[in-house]
Amino acid sequence: MKFSTLNECRQTITDEDIVGAMKKIPGYLDITPSDFMEIYGVAYDHALHRLKHAITAEQIMTSQVVTVAETAPLAEVVRLLADHDISGMPVIQPDNTLAGVISEKDFLSKMGGGGSPSFMHVILQCLEKKGCIAADIKKLTAKEIMSSPAVTISGTTPLFEVADIMDRHNINRVPVIDDAGRLAGIVARSDLIQTMC
Amino acid sequence: MSGFFQKMKGGSQSPPGVGFSEIAWSWLGAFLGIIPVALLHYHFFSDGDLVFLIGSFGASAVLIYGAVRSPLAQPRNLVGGHLISAVIGVAAWQMLGSAPWLAAAFAVATAIAAMHATKTLHPPGGATALIAVIGSEKIHSLGFLYVFFPVLTGVIIMLIVALVVNNIAESRKYPEFWW
Repeated sequence: MKFSTLNECRQTITDEDIVGAMKKIPGYLDITPSDFMEIYGVAYDHALHRLKHAITAEQIMTSQVVTVAETAPLAEVVRLLADHDISGMPVIQPDNTLAGVISEKDFLSKMGGGGSPSFMHVILQCLEKKGCIAADIKKLTAKEIMSSPAVTISGTTPLFEVADIMDRHNINRVPVIDDAGRLAGIVARSDLIQTMC
Repeated sequence: MSGFFQKMKGGSQSPPGVGFSEIAWSWLGAFLGIIPVALLHYHFFSDGDLVFLIGSFGASAVLIYGAVRSPLAQPRNLVGGHLISAVIGVAAWQMLGSAPWLAAAFAVATAIAAMHATKTLHPPGGATALIAVIGSEKIHSLGFLYVFFPVLTGVIIMLIVALVVNNIAESRKYPEFWW
């Protein structure tokens, strides 16, 4: 979700599109195609500005967040992710403050020997080493493989900034925290996409 | 200075033309709309005035039967534009009648300003204001009655025909807004 792409969307309407549309609409429209272009351009910018600034993380976040404790064994983490059909979740301390985020990527990087390997890298390693490396992480807890400190946002972060943060950090979800550092919700890429349409 | 002449080139594309049915409906609406107005005015006015009055309503016909969706063609503009301009035209004649050329210019210019200010811009209003000044003694002697007859009567007749004819056509809808 890059907002720069949305800025370019505007340019894709051509004079031909407008004249074509005017032909399709019955009746005489007493505006020139350039009148329309001007109205469209200003309206588009207006709408984009509204999307970028008026909508905040609070309005689109999911507040019923699936979380896991720092001390949870990885088997529990995996079960939670699988049961809820999600690819990542916040890791919290007993007072509900955020400790980090754990996602498929953390598992992949642990199992693939660091860096940012893909699922296929892990498979490759399994095949070449003749044995599954998942065995190595059996005894670990959430705290030991989670990403920390996590990238976070506040409830008032505007939508465009949320999109920009996800894009820049290459992450698929970002926890929303309140002033005291407690978890308030989470915004996933899918939440952003739904807001756009 | 080069920008000044540059603007005269235009450069924007002209809007597409309309199809046959649009032309036919425009013709029918204008035909049915002008008939009663013409009959009424033939009855009451001399040839010279008739030319003027029909001229103003002919211009309205272009808009309300030929450019149905135009903001300039909506009832607020049709009725408001003619009435406000008629009042201004009569007032201009009564104040500046001794210098008809000045009264004429003042009437049209003020009518445009007043129509803008009241969101009732309707180009034929300019003619309606002008006719109050350049019309015959018969028109002058009407005084402010001119606003109600022939202007308001003509406007109401044309509006009723527009409401009926434009809404019979499947591809048309009138008005876009009343107020």
